[in-house]
Amino acid sequence: MTNPAPHIMPADPKIRLRDICFFFGNTRILNQVNVDIPENRITAVTGPSGQGKSTLLSCLNRLWEETPGARMTGNVDIRFNDRFQDIRTLPAHQLRQKVGTVFQVPTPLPMSIYKNVAFPLKLQGKDKEREARHRVEEALKRTHLWQEVKDRFDQDARALSGGQQQRLCMARALVLRPQVLLLDEPTSSLDPGAGERIEALLTELKSQCTILLISHYMDQVARIADQRLSLEQGRLNPTPL
Amino acid sequence: MKPGRLHRLFTAWAWTATLVLVTAMAIILGFLISRGWHTLTPSLIFGEAPIWEAVTLVRPVFDGLFPALAGTLALVLTAVALAVPLGIGAGIFLAEYCPPKPKAFFSLVFDILAGIPSIVVGLFGFSLTILLHQLFGGRIYPCLLISAISLAFLVLPYIIRTTQLSLQGLDPAVRLTALGLGATKFQNIVHVLVPASFSHILSGVILAVGRCAEDTAVIMLTGAVAAAGIPKSLFSGYEALPFYIYYISSQYADDAELARGYGACLLLLALCLTLFGLARWLQRRVSQRILYRP
Repeated sequence: MTNPAPHIMPADPKIRLRDICFFFGNTRILNQVNVDIPENRITAVTGPSGQGKSTLLSCLNRLWEETPGARMTGNVDIRFNDRFQDIRTLPAHQLRQKVGTVFQVPTPLPMSIYKNVAFPLKLQGKDKEREARHRVEEALKRTHLWQEVKDRFDQDARALSGGQQQRLCMARALVLRPQVLLLDEPTSSLDPGAGERIEALLTELKSQCTILLISHYMDQVARIADQRLSLEQGRLNPTPL
Repeated sequence: MKPGRLHRLFTAWAWTATLVLVTAMAIILGFLISRGWHTLTPSLIFGEAPIWEAVTLVRPVFDGLFPALAGTLALVLTAVALAVPLGIGAGIFLAEYCPPKPKAFFSLVFDILAGIPSIVVGLFGFSLTILLHQLFGGRIYPCLLISAISLAFLVLPYIIRTTQLSLQGLDPAVRLTALGLGATKFQNIVHVLVPASFSHILSGVILAVGRCAEDTAVIMLTGAVAAAGIPKSLFSGYEALPFYIYYISSQYADDAELARGYGACLLLLALCLTLFGLARWLQRRVSQRILYRP
């Protein structure tokens, strides 16, 4: 007989996951995940590789739907405008504009530095020259990349170093001012100095958005996370920091 | 066999294959240049007509290759203009919208189509001409448009499969990134996937240009004639360099005429090189404009 899945429920949740099971083909990746993610906090998800941490994040922005053979059951509700909404009732692209994502591997698009950061604004039709420039500059300054790229906006973003690319991807996720930010090991490709600056940024950002962070670095989790959830064998368990 | 020795053998094989190909190409080019170089004068293209008057169509060229050059250019551009929108559209459909089972079927069909001999496509064009001739009361004859349609049909599979494979070959991270930023499927295709695979798609188009410019079997059955002059419309007969080369090589009267055939070969190569260069220049300009201008 299996133990019932633990329920993790803070007082003021932003995200509610109920009975989440995730399958890839016939393989069960997540098993009865029940968790509430508190608003304006950093929640770290830890656990061994291959346990479904990235899959868990993909349940929150419905990016799993783009993978053939993947299937999810259960409910994910996110509170937008003080009302919980089942994320399946929102068009996927609208949801993803509110729930920003930074992947583990930096993924600059094959376009210029400026166009990369302004890309989400263009998708929303908010690419009026002055406003877009302001938002791009703001996002690049927050990720401490502004000084390094301000004179070479029209260069191919793929020519940046790995650390710069990751900060560019963070700037791109922040340019829409998302309410939820999903980060899949965002500092794994950064040098220690850049990693510290990103940590400082996340601490600063949590007053404006809810952050879910996958990290393998326990010292990093201890430094910046408000709560830690450990994912093992498809189950999510609260774990002391 | 020891891995070191195997590696040396493998390297030697790769070098030899490349050298054989480059040497064969150099021999063919050298042969053509040695035989045709001395004919490359304005009179080869414009005959007795003054260049400006020939180019502005004030005076027709009877004894030069200008009508064949113009006919080939018109034919290639018309065929590519017909094939590219259809081919890229079908390639995008196969890569992004088609369910797996029909995709496998259509991919097989297009691979088979790519292997159809051009004489078969030429016969299709000829049958189409007869059909249209009967349908339109004898007003349609073999012409530039029917040749272009047949050639477009011939090169469509290349463009479709190149577009499909270049889109499918994109890094999955690139595919998911824009979606993760809130792009719709349509926005992802238009703003990211197609621009990211633009240079590969263009390779398919360049291949199509080359195939349209060199094909003789299709055009000799669908509209190319020996002395039609500059094509007056899409519904008129036309001259074409590959047809002229074929005609001269099989029926030349003297050495001078054969030398003009070699000159025509060099002109055809120059035309293809110009079109390839134009395509590459466009690729750089368009990529720069779409992707990198702030």
